[in-house]
Amino acid sequence: MERRKTYDGCEGPDAMYVKLMSSDAHEFVVKREPALASGTIKVMVSGPGQFAENEPIRSIVERPLHILHMYFTYKVCYTKNSTKLPIAPEIALELVMAVNFLDC
Amino acid sequence: MEAGEEPLLLAELKPGRPHQFDWKSSCETWSVAFSPDGSWFAWSQGHCIVKLIPWPLEEQFIPKGFEAKSRSSKNDTKGRGSPKEKTLDCGQIVWGLAFSPWPSPPSRKLWARHHPQVPDISCLILATGLNDGQIKIWEVQTGLLLLNLSGHQDVVRDLSFTPSGSLILVSASRDKTLRIWDLNKHGKQIQVLSGHLQWVYCCSISPDCSMLCSAAGEKSVFLWSMRSYTLIRKLEGHQSSVVSCDFSPDSALLVTASYDTNVIMWDPYTGERLRSLHHTQLEPAMDDSDVHVSSLRSVCFSPEGLYLATVADDRLLRIWALELKAPVAFAPMTNGLCCTFFPHGGVIATGTRDGHVQFWTAPRVLSSLKHLCRKALRSFLTTYQVLALPIPKKMKEFLTYRTF
Repeated sequence: MERRKTYDGCEGPDAMYVKLMSSDAHEFVVKREPALASGTIKVMVSGPGQFAENEPIRSIVERPLHILHMYFTYKVCYTKNSTKLPIAPEIALELVMAVNFLDC
Repeated sequence: MEAGEEPLLLAELKPGRPHQFDWKSSCETWSVAFSPDGSWFAWSQGHCIVKLIPWPLEEQFIPKGFEAKSRSSKNDTKGRGSPKEKTLDCGQIVWGLAFSPWPSPPSRKLWARHHPQVPDISCLILATGLNDGQIKIWEVQTGLLLLNLSGHQDVVRDLSFTPSGSLILVSASRDKTLRIWDLNKHGKQIQVLSGHLQWVYCCSISPDCSMLCSAAGEKSVFLWSMRSYTLIRKLEGHQSSVVSCDFSPDSALLVTASYDTNVIMWDPYTGERLRSLHHTQLEPAMDDSDVHVSSLRSVCFSPEGLYLATVADDRLLRIWALELKAPVAFAPMTNGLCCTFFPHGGVIATGTRDGHVQFWTAPRVLSSLKHLCRKALRSFLTTYQVLALPIPKKMKEFLTYRTF
């Protein structure tokens, strides 16, 4: 994760990035558009003001969120391709619960 | 192509003139197969010939083989050492085909240690099921005949290798039995599975190697354990001969196709019927046609587990999305007999009665992450294990494919 570079912010409706914060305080700054693959995130960042811009996703722990980030990137880079996304068996259950919430 | 677009014909291969003019041998393509790594394609093109073609197909002529023992095609340009097309003359009608996965390293070393004088089966092999019950085992790279397995008394209609690479082969025959062969032990027959009352049309091993499915003329589908080689259960529901079966890539679903115009999707762990896919004609016939005109010939799962392809006698290739009740796409094909997906997706191969094969575009959809998780979980969890998890009911329904 980059620490010192300057990016466009995570604030405001036109921000290029969104910040996902997990329940154990890990922060993931991801590009906004791929993250919109999640229906829930899409609603959260573009809904009519019900959620703040960088509302943390509190119910999700860090490990599955890492895979989520991979999935957003995977979806952008490999649309229509058959490249496999490896999902380790030990996190698959946690991940499916998180993904169910995030609708992607 | 998107889901919902019609499959486009990419290519069609026709057999060349047979070596000898032989009216006795039929010209049907009973089976087509891709090797699990997607590098080879095999089709039984009738007249006792099996053609092995490297994949992807090349536009130019296939180079002529220059090894004395190889049986390459008659097309000629200068040889380049690249993988060559192979023609296997089996001497009688070929009904079933199966590629092995590459053997896993432990069995390869075991093989070499015990059989120093025999060709090393640490290579890609093809099993061919023949008219008189013999099974011939061929080495794909060279086209050499490695083994001849005898035991069946009648046509060997279908073959299946265990996906783990352990070189265990299952064969299904019109002699009403299935047989288990160990190719690590020189093709020794290790078990005969009896119980079917009529011709066994097909066999399929689940990707997790735990279950074997077989289907026969007496309308029933049998599930066997691949660990104890005993019968687990019988699946009843079809109204006519069951001729094709396939497991989903995560072993959680089984589909069977029958002359009764239906494909049934089962949960192989509980034996429950999950849904039926009815094949009805697009336009009703003008005369009082036989109701069997939409008889199914073949069904197969797509590699990501979201689609099915079916071939039926009503001259259509259909693509089904699992959660829907009607096909998402159709393509016209006459006299279709068999179909299979390319292992990495995107292409479907079909074979017909006149010995031709066609390659069609297949839907390529990026799986949702939810489905990818389900596939990952179901690759090692049975239905009962899922039901025992401390998760909401709706999640259980999703994970056991009751909902999509």
